[in-house]
Amino acid sequence: MVNCEGLTKLYGEFVAVNELSFSIQPGEVMGLVGPNGAGKTTTLRCLAGIIPPTRGTVRVGGHDIVRDAIAAKKQLAFFTDEPRLFDYLTVWQHLNFVARIYQVPGYESIGRELLEELEIANKRDALPGELSRGMKQKLAIACGLLHSPKVIYFDEPLTGLDPLGIRRMKDSILKRARDGAAIIISSHLLHLVEEICSRLLILKNGRKIIDGTLEEVTRKFSEQPGDANLEDIFFRATSDSGTSAPAVPPVLPP
Amino acid sequence: MIAALLYLQYHTVRNRLVNRFKRLKQPKYFVGAIVGGLYFYFYFFRYLFRGFGGRPGVNLTFSPEHLQLFELVGALALFVIVLLAWIIPHERAALTFTEAEVAFLFPAPITRRTLIHFKLLRSQFGILFTTLLFTFFSRRFGGNVWIHAFGWWLILSTLNLHFLGSSFARTMLLDRGISNWLRRLLVFGLAVAMAGAVWVWAKRTLPALSSADTANLNAILDYAQRVLTAGPALYLLYPFRLMVRPFLAPDAPAFFVALAPGLLLFLLHYLWVIYSDVAFEEASVEASQKLAVRIAAVRAGNWQGAKKNRKAKRPWFRLTGTGPAATALFWKNLIGVGQVFSVRLWISIIVVVVVFGVMFASKPQSHGFSIVAAFLIAIALGYSLLLGPQLLRLDFRNDLPLADILKTFPMRGWQIALGEILAPVAVLAVFQWLLLLVGAGLVFYLPVKQEALFLAIALGAAVVLPVLDLLLLLIPNAAVLLFPSWIQTGKDSPRGIEATGQRLIFALGQLLALLLALLPAAAAFVGVFFLLNFTSFGPAAAVVPASLAATIILAVEAGFGVMLLGKLFERFDVTEEHTS
Repeated sequence: MVNCEGLTKLYGEFVAVNELSFSIQPGEVMGLVGPNGAGKTTTLRCLAGIIPPTRGTVRVGGHDIVRDAIAAKKQLAFFTDEPRLFDYLTVWQHLNFVARIYQVPGYESIGRELLEELEIANKRDALPGELSRGMKQKLAIACGLLHSPKVIYFDEPLTGLDPLGIRRMKDSILKRARDGAAIIISSHLLHLVEEICSRLLILKNGRKIIDGTLEEVTRKFSEQPGDANLEDIFFRATSDSGTSAPAVPPVLPP
Repeated sequence: MIAALLYLQYHTVRNRLVNRFKRLKQPKYFVGAIVGGLYFYFYFFRYLFRGFGGRPGVNLTFSPEHLQLFELVGALALFVIVLLAWIIPHERAALTFTEAEVAFLFPAPITRRTLIHFKLLRSQFGILFTTLLFTFFSRRFGGNVWIHAFGWWLILSTLNLHFLGSSFARTMLLDRGISNWLRRLLVFGLAVAMAGAVWVWAKRTLPALSSADTANLNAILDYAQRVLTAGPALYLLYPFRLMVRPFLAPDAPAFFVALAPGLLLFLLHYLWVIYSDVAFEEASVEASQKLAVRIAAVRAGNWQGAKKNRKAKRPWFRLTGTGPAATALFWKNLIGVGQVFSVRLWISIIVVVVVFGVMFASKPQSHGFSIVAAFLIAIALGYSLLLGPQLLRLDFRNDLPLADILKTFPMRGWQIALGEILAPVAVLAVFQWLLLLVGAGLVFYLPVKQEALFLAIALGAAVVLPVLDLLLLLIPNAAVLLFPSWIQTGKDSPRGIEATGQRLIFALGQLLALLLALLPAAAAFVGVFFLLNFTSFGPAAAVVPASLAATIILAVEAGFGVMLLGKLFERFDVTEEHTS
């Protein structure tokens, strides 16, 4: 569903993403992790067609994101870490607007269902300025899901959500995957990745460290089966020496 | 404690200045600084240095009667400003601090009075800058620069204290259960009572103006002067006259005589503010957050986002889920335009139209009014072309901070470009058509014999203007995509003399681009006009076809322009602009 070949993004002489290749199939949820500055957001932006890659190709549903941008973009949705909304459009007007952009006939019933599912139906006529951070996030998600995308990218999807919102977001992601969407999640929250991702791609300094199923990645970075969780694996994969970060001593009562 | 606050203020200003000097190493700021510096020198500074070889400005000298009239006008203006300060605001007292200041200062062991002093001290930077600008301006008409500067400073500082004091008083009244509406009613009632007292006194004491006097400006001014310098108005305006008197002093001795009462008023205001014990912290925290949001919106070029009390607006037409995608952007931006056209604006427009209508209906045979109205319409049309594209920014200039979202849309660049700029074009065109319609109606009341020619010109303009608006809007939109850091995207938009210089360079560049775009259309207009005019059609019949020819040329140019704008948007690299 998403096929990335030799993706490279340069800013002047700075290499943000370096020869990245991977592919992801319908129903898969891939976690994109790495330390700050690893190139996760740049990768997602290139995959979404927001910024052009310097080299390499990205195909979404068989369409090249640069040469056949319209067909490729029709199949995807990208959720940024900060919900990006138009100040002067109400919740419903956002859905109306997005429906026309993505050519969704009969968007009204889909929109109503999405607002119900995301529990913001009572905010239908509210402006973004009247919504909480979590509600804005939900509105952005409703807009992104309106055209039933086959490929979904999330950049830090849990930022600003309350515990119930987090639970619902995880359920929503898994539901879309079960429905056949290919999903990429960029996040620093390793427990989220461990919980809902079937695959993992670790980036460091723009380069791919490893890409595979969770079992494959665990196997590669474990000295013996079951000796490491995802956090340990992350530190082993991204540290220069290849060792885990020192354990933090527990706080003892005085 | 105040020393720490002074330290904060000093280093804030100093670091800001150092940063500005440092960035002059970049050619774009250096060139901007030179152009901006030249602009400020030729427009303002040279009038300050008359004695040192600078060009003298207009040195007007005024008689004592004129000075008294100016004093009365100034006092009346101050009276209205103060009155409005007691009627319009509805918030509780809130000293505006930045979010960082709230975070550091409010939990710190600092007294409320010290915070007020800090606020007063900081407001002095803004007041001194405004004083400088006002002095530059007023000095052009003559007078002593120091008298002007100190006079402005005294007026602005006292007004600043009065606004603060009235906000404290408003909060105290709210705490005592006196609502905003009750306060407004009381203040308004008091103002009406005072105006009534002045009117009754004038009616009983002064001889009424004759009908001949109402057409004589000098007689009206003389009457107003007599009303305002005696009776109740004398006492009512006296404090306000004391405030403007130092500014209007013709020489140093008169200035010092006028200064003492002015300073006394300033001191009384200061004591009023300092000894008001009002809790402003909670409202200030809220105000600082709102201020931060507004500043971020303005710096991102999103003036609509900076508006207070935004309300949901209904769309101007129904948008279905299928059809040309560019229409969605047009639809969206029209909703944004609705934020500008508030109920208050519509009421203002209706009031203006009604007033003009009544005036016109009272003397329909008068050519004078028709000439003035036609002249005003011509000026409004000119300004709509000059300022309209700058003021109506619901296009890429507004949406560029959301460029990454726009880029995820399955649309071609030209579709996004067209959708983005259509809304301001439509608003401008409708406004201009309305003006032309009124202008066409006025033709029959003008002392001209070639009504047909004037009507043809109006019709030709109606055809040309929408396409011309499209071209005019393409230029700044292309500029913002080509040079976003020169205009106003992102949080680090440039400010200062160098930024003014950059804007001037841009304005000149845009003017040049427009002239180049207009040349072929003007040639087509002239060619067709002369061809038809000299083949016995006459000028009136030639204007419309000539306008159509020019419109076709402009439309072709605009079409290419939209395609080019679309390409520019497709190539616009969001991340590179943000990281540069």
